[in-house]
Amino acid sequence: MREIKIKNVKKTFNGEVILDNVNLTIPNGAFFALLGPSGSGKTTLLRLIAGFETVDSGSIFFGDKDITYLPIHKRRVNTVFQNYALFPHFNVFDNVAYSLKIKKVPKDIIEQKVVSVLKKVHLEKHIYKSISQLSGGQQQRVALARAIINEPDVLLLDEPLAALDLKLREEMLVELIDLQSSLKTTFVYVTHDQFEALTVADRMAIMNGDGEIEQVGTPKEIYEFPGSSFVAKFVGSTNIFKGVLKIEGDKSYFEVGDLGKFEINLPKNKGWESGRNILMSIRPEKFEICKTELQGFSNCLEGNVASIVYHGRSTQYNVRLNNGFRVSVFEQNEEHFPQEVIDYEDKVYIYWQKENVVLLEK
Amino acid sequence: MAKRECGVVREMSDNKFKSSVLGASENKSFAMALPAVLWQGIFLYVPVVFIIGISFLKGLDGSVFKNITLGNYDTLMNSSYFITIYRSVVLAFSTALMCLILAYPTAYFLAIKVKKYKNLLFFLLILPFWINFLVKAYSWFFILDHNGFVNSFLIKIGLISTPFHILNTPIAVYIVMVFCYLPFMILPLYNSMAKIDKFLLEASSDLGATAGQTLWHITIPLSMAGITSGFFLVLIPSFGEFVIPTLLGGGKTMYVGSMISYFFLETKNVFLGSAFTCLSGLALIFVALSIYFVFNKIGKKNMGVK
Repeated sequence: MREIKIKNVKKTFNGEVILDNVNLTIPNGAFFALLGPSGSGKTTLLRLIAGFETVDSGSIFFGDKDITYLPIHKRRVNTVFQNYALFPHFNVFDNVAYSLKIKKVPKDIIEQKVVSVLKKVHLEKHIYKSISQLSGGQQQRVALARAIINEPDVLLLDEPLAALDLKLREEMLVELIDLQSSLKTTFVYVTHDQFEALTVADRMAIMNGDGEIEQVGTPKEIYEFPGSSFVAKFVGSTNIFKGVLKIEGDKSYFEVGDLGKFEINLPKNKGWESGRNILMSIRPEKFEICKTELQGFSNCLEGNVASIVYHGRSTQYNVRLNNGFRVSVFEQNEEHFPQEVIDYEDKVYIYWQKENVVLLEK
Repeated sequence: MAKRECGVVREMSDNKFKSSVLGASENKSFAMALPAVLWQGIFLYVPVVFIIGISFLKGLDGSVFKNITLGNYDTLMNSSYFITIYRSVVLAFSTALMCLILAYPTAYFLAIKVKKYKNLLFFLLILPFWINFLVKAYSWFFILDHNGFVNSFLIKIGLISTPFHILNTPIAVYIVMVFCYLPFMILPLYNSMAKIDKFLLEASSDLGATAGQTLWHITIPLSMAGITSGFFLVLIPSFGEFVIPTLLGGGKTMYVGSMISYFFLETKNVFLGSAFTCLSGLALIFVALSIYFVFNKIGKKNMGVK
């Protein structure tokens, strides 16, 4: 098992801290996403693994082997660049064959491998075309083929789909997942797009704007149990309430000054005490919105509809609470049965279950 | 049906409109080019035709037809004048080659490696262009002289006891030629290298290439346009260079430029001079075409796994 271990890595550019004491383990064979806003240092981290940059301090291990200062061309790591970086003076075949040609692999084997890898990315019909004759999506596939032909231990992808349109991007995501599961190569996928990260990754790390890793986990863990309000807000959208923890007997509550108190499940491992200032995060789709009173929910709030945004498969309601707070609520437009119509400025109730709340320290 | 016809008509008129616009712009741009074309024609092509014509004459008395001869070329072929053409070819080629060898790492460093102070360094690089050519060439007189900077320095550090005899030798000519023509090589090289996407170089090493392999497979092919134009920018003028061989060669070794001046200004033999000019021109065209052919071949060879 050869995992990538990043230990206490620090990197600055012109005095500006890009990565601050980063520790991360990327398991062997994982489809790992590095997700963060622009400027969060995720690309720098990728470039450190590839060897394009060197660390200020700390080390990078590949299995037991320290590769911190190993030259780029000796790493069994290949990269798919954001702008593809295809060699403009080579055709498709020569671009894909480049790494084999460098290794002086016999010509017939090169030919065989190029054809088979181009089949994998569905480009076998374009083998002798020049790069400028290809569309953006096809260039993306050439870049992918060029990077996997050498059977690297790790494939690094730096926002590889950023230049493609939405439809093509969705197709490529599915193909990437298929490719990864057939190759069993560790993929490290850098993106600022939470949809892409949640779709492809089986593990992901969220980086914040200060060059730190906020949270590592599976997409479901990250989405359902964000460790901080930064993660909750960056991955998906959410509603954050500031309040105080109240423990009364075996029940616990979250109290917001002018809204009242709401029943919650107290996380047992944190050792929080009554009176502590905490945050409560509720995803918009965890709410039920209704004009009439419903039974069976643990919590309820009253408000008026401030705006309605129709998204097709769902509708987003912005509800103004009595204290002026705004809460965002998603409703699926499933409409199996005739439903009540919620209109602008209607008085509504929003309900949620205490299990769907995430409590955060910061 | 009616609608369809309408569409066809509109398409046709669109095409007509397009072609008339294009035609007009072509005419206009030719009119804009006319002054330069006339200038070139009157002051370059017409004189060249005259020189070619005169090279086949032995005198200007009486009828032109009586004076036609191949004797000028015969004289040149059987004389030691011919060797000056060969010498100039060697000087021009070796100057261009040395300039390329010196300029390539400089341009590479400036275009690809340097991040800070790029503009300042670039300014320093083109600064020699601002100094008069004659002044640049003549200043070397004092550097290479018996009591000049080079000799007094070498004597001072005890490397030699008697001064080197550099001035008025082909070596002095060569050194100054390379010095004066170097910027003409660096500029086109810098331009072509500055356009190379840095990610291509990273991609190459990412795919397992060493620095040398990246240079050979990526950087050189992608800067081939700069290499070619720089080489010719140095080769062609240095073939006919007159000032540097005269000033620093002491006029002892003859090159094409000094030979032409000898025929036209000293012996006043315009017929032999014209024939010599034509021959040297032909030699230059031949050399330039061969080099272009070789460069083209190198460029193509690097275009793929062949």
